[in-house]
Amino acid sequence: MAFITGYQYYENSGSSPQDSNWGSYQYVPLADLVRNFELMYVGNDKLVNNVPRYNIIFHAKRAIQELNYDALKETKVVELTVCDNLRVVLPPDYVNWVRISLFKDGTLFPLNENVQVNYAKSYLQDNDCNVLFDEEGDVLTGTSLLDYERITSGLRDMYIGAGKMSGREGYFVDDQWYFSYPIGGRYGLNTETANINPTFKIDKASGVINFSSDMADQIVVIEYVSDGMEGGEDANVSVNKMFEEYVYAYIKYAILNNKFGVQEYVVRRAQKDKSALLRNAKIRLSNIHPGRLLQNMRGQSKWLK
Amino acid sequence: MSTPSEMEGFIYFYYLCVNFPDMINSVRNTVLAIANKQNFGYITPADFNLYAKQAQLDIFEDYFYRYNQWVLKQNSRVSGSEYADIVRNLEEVIDSFSTSSTLTLDSDSTFDLPSDFYFLTEIRSGNNTADRVSNANILKLTLSHLTAPTTTFPAYVMNGSQITLYPTTIDTGVTALYIRRPLDPRWTYASFSGGEPVFNESAADYQNFELPETDEPLLVSKILQYAGISIREADIYQAGVAEETTTTQKQG
Repeated sequence: MAFITGYQYYENSGSSPQDSNWGSYQYVPLADLVRNFELMYVGNDKLVNNVPRYNIIFHAKRAIQELNYDALKETKVVELTVCDNLRVVLPPDYVNWVRISLFKDGTLFPLNENVQVNYAKSYLQDNDCNVLFDEEGDVLTGTSLLDYERITSGLRDMYIGAGKMSGREGYFVDDQWYFSYPIGGRYGLNTETANINPTFKIDKASGVINFSSDMADQIVVIEYVSDGMEGGEDANVSVNKMFEEYVYAYIKYAILNNKFGVQEYVVRRAQKDKSALLRNAKIRLSNIHPGRLLQNMRGQSKWLK
Repeated sequence: MSTPSEMEGFIYFYYLCVNFPDMINSVRNTVLAIANKQNFGYITPADFNLYAKQAQLDIFEDYFYRYNQWVLKQNSRVSGSEYADIVRNLEEVIDSFSTSSTLTLDSDSTFDLPSDFYFLTEIRSGNNTADRVSNANILKLTLSHLTAPTTTFPAYVMNGSQITLYPTTIDTGVTALYIRRPLDPRWTYASFSGGEPVFNESAADYQNFELPETDEPLLVSKILQYAGISIREADIYQAGVAEETTTTQKQG
């Protein structure tokens, strides 16, 4: 991609949307990656030759997908309202979640992932507990009691939530606290589940997030990672420049590794290149600046009470 | 406006015309001098033109095989650089036949390739290059999320002299870059002198050889072979074969 002028960058040359080029210099478009690879790594006098371009595109996209899963740290954020059915459909480009939060009173409250099941598919049965089928032989299904109880606030789970002591107050008289109930009786509290925030469970097969009943009519903020494929719009697919060399190394390795007659030492060399470049890029992207370290170190002399 | 490759081709063609304006006449004179000893093997202009066309096509096609051989040699580090860069020399000759043409969509959703194309270098849709895919793979390619052709990365399949471009929404702005076949050489004459036709390079249908002057010995050898077969003269045929063998051995 050609370099753009300041006017193109800030104002998109007067076109809409104005912000389409903001921050674009951090990224290399997929089309550039493929073209550069074809120019620099493919040829009669190169290690890679006689390879169809769709092979290169495939491996370039796979490299970008892999980077998006764990290395790029580029999360997408979506905000939705949870309706009475306590269910939110996963975003169309969702691959995995990073954090799911309740947004309330100007604060983000991170939700706990419920390790217990809170949804189920219910098979209809007759009085003798025989499973019922439709005329095509498929099992008849309905709303499960588990789902019903969750939606109607009847489902109990291992998460304490507010707990029975929440909101109970004492009296501070003559520099002493007094309580109208016994305190200190919650021995053996499981701190893992002692959280007041609502919970969620992702039903991957159905493509939805099921929430606990206290999320009804609340706003949820979902932070998630995608695979960077931008809904199949190749023109929008790009990768951070820190990973550009890694993508070339990945493509080269993937092609050489699958090509017949390539010496093993050549494949190993390509593999080492790829791994080393991934490590380098991860270190670069972790942004370890002296200034940041200094900021963290300032906490070392803090007095702990 | 001409594309760079068109312009380069034109410049090279102009170079050939200016520097070797009557190469075809020179070749004909040499062929006749060898074959027509004692007025035994006269070749008519019509026959000569037929042999010349075959000879030129033969040598032209051989350029691609020689190019491949020299690429292999280059990779084995037995080829040099600068004046010893044979690969580059061969590329220059082949590139002199490089040209481009805008393709238009037919009613059957295909694009017709130019009639003079010999080797398809590239199909472009705007500034994007289309990938050539075999008919066996195009369905798999279009059904895969990661490889499905897009306007950024289009693909095409070839059926004879037609191509089908994917995605099929692309219907304009398609250009073919290709190596064209050399034009048929034509030795022309206007009048007779002493019973012999007199060369006339101003004739409307005159066409010189398009190969470099350095190929003149090879052209002579090849034409002699055809002429030798035609007039049942084994000596001429053998001489042509021997000359060609010597020349090609020298060229590697």
